[in-house]
Amino acid sequence: MAVSVEMRRDTRVKHLLYLIGGGGAVVVFLVPLAWAMLRSVQPNSVIVATPDPSTFFDFTLENFRAIADGPGNVIRSVYNSLVVSLGTAALTTLLATLAGYGFARFGFRQGPFLFALVVVSMMVPFQAILTPLYLELNAMRLTDSLLGLVLFNTTVNLPFGVFVMRNAFSAVPGELEDSAHVDGAGTLRIIGSVLRPLITPGAATVALYAFLASWTEFLGALTFLTRDELYTLPVSLVNLQSGSYGAINFGYLVAGSVIAMVPCIVLYVALQRYYVSGIAVGAVKG
Amino acid sequence: MTTLASRTATPTETGGATRRRGSLTHPDRTALLLVAPAVIFVVVFVLIPLVFAVVISLTNWPLIGTVEFVGLDNYAAIPSDATFVKSVLYTLLYTAIVTGPILVLGYAMAVLVRAPRRGSTLLRTVLFLPFVVGLSTISFMTVLEAQPDSGAVNLLLEAVGITDGSTAWLVDGALATGLICVLVIWGVSGLTMVLLMSGMHAIPDEVYESAELDGAGWWQRERNVTIPMLRKTIAMAVIISVIGSLLAFTQFYILTKGGPGTDTMTVVNYIYNRAFVQLQLGAAGALSVVLVAVVGLVTATQFWLLRDRD
Repeated sequence: MAVSVEMRRDTRVKHLLYLIGGGGAVVVFLVPLAWAMLRSVQPNSVIVATPDPSTFFDFTLENFRAIADGPGNVIRSVYNSLVVSLGTAALTTLLATLAGYGFARFGFRQGPFLFALVVVSMMVPFQAILTPLYLELNAMRLTDSLLGLVLFNTTVNLPFGVFVMRNAFSAVPGELEDSAHVDGAGTLRIIGSVLRPLITPGAATVALYAFLASWTEFLGALTFLTRDELYTLPVSLVNLQSGSYGAINFGYLVAGSVIAMVPCIVLYVALQRYYVSGIAVGAVKG
Repeated sequence: MTTLASRTATPTETGGATRRRGSLTHPDRTALLLVAPAVIFVVVFVLIPLVFAVVISLTNWPLIGTVEFVGLDNYAAIPSDATFVKSVLYTLLYTAIVTGPILVLGYAMAVLVRAPRRGSTLLRTVLFLPFVVGLSTISFMTVLEAQPDSGAVNLLLEAVGITDGSTAWLVDGALATGLICVLVIWGVSGLTMVLLMSGMHAIPDEVYESAELDGAGWWQRERNVTIPMLRKTIAMAVIISVIGSLLAFTQFYILTKGGPGTDTMTVVNYIYNRAFVQLQLGAAGALSVVLVAVVGLVTATQFWLLRDRD
């Protein structure tokens, strides 16, 4: 409906402006990312040299092969990042689903206060409480631990997740649960079987956010991890960059960046409808 | 016996009719169990650290040795901490530079992609990609392109005749700041775009149709319809972007480490250094408390300035 109205309205000038703006935007936003991919298949010697057409296109997978073999423990850090991101996505989604159901469906006395508590915590920037958080995690023996990082990332992503899941449950008609209750189903069974198909989009949003945020999270991982076999990808790239393993090799750095970038792009492109709807929820209701 | 008798004797006192009874299908106990894990996370990893920050800030808190209570000394030392004051001013300057362009570019991008046209879905995806890839990754990619003589930044500027191609972007405070600002504006405008776009989609078509019947042109519709109706969404987008800028760390740490010297040192970077490089946790705690207060104040002020004036 809105489609046809808008399409009819476009004058020739407007259409031309759209083409120019759109084309320009694609160049500005896509070319740098594509350029990084191109750089990742150039050897360091080409990257640091003034571009020379005779060598510029000598593509090689040398950078990827080299970082797979050693410097920066990049492969190990990809594994660590995966563990942390998947762990955070799973835990955040689980906790947010339970809490979202509780806040959406149960008219309990403490509900409004506890919900406000969770939402207000969203406004406390973790960057500002890093010092006490470090000491606390250290006392709990959760520094230098991937589990500790999962708990930290879960906390960062949880308020948004609870928000999304509360809205998801609120949108489900109550009759569904009532009949399930009559059939004698318990709370967890109701969430897990009766309501699951209806809240899957919300849960996918939460999981996707938590995964992507943890995959690129930098400050927490930099602070809480000190042993290089535990580094996540961004932290291991810092070490690669600051030349802890000898002279800086830009080829390795950009290849590592591409390894960090590709999963984000693939996941986002595949699941973007959840991503965009999630942002809309956060903006409109937040 | 007596208890039973007294209970039955005073049915009005229990006030069963007025007091709220727990629901059979949704009992309070179940609700508390459901929300408990999330609430415990928030208490343990947000509220306790917040209180703990205040406690630390009142001590000398060495990593090894005894903790000594020092009262407000750490706070008293803040105004004379020249590097901190400089980092505050620098962070404010950085925030002032990037906020406007992020909003304007994000708005323009939202206008470009909000209507369903041929390719607009693909365009949305592309414009949002840098944000999805994340500041850490795009910062790493920028490191090599900022190198003199070989980096793409110089190649581009040389091609349009602005420089001779040998500018070393990351060893000069002003140049590094400029580069990081451009990088951030490029990288995060997509978020503002998506926020504003979802707000624009919530404006009913009829509003535009009647504005058009009144003979309003494109800019008038934008100024008199879209922007007023988007006030809250714009406020939200600006708040998110300002807070992000005040807490900037990743891109600076990766590209300049706050250097040269302390020329590009942001507040979070400085607190990080105090705590985890110089190991002065008490001082860092005091600075953290100040930062929490400032961010809270900025949020509150912005909500107040952009509140509904009904």
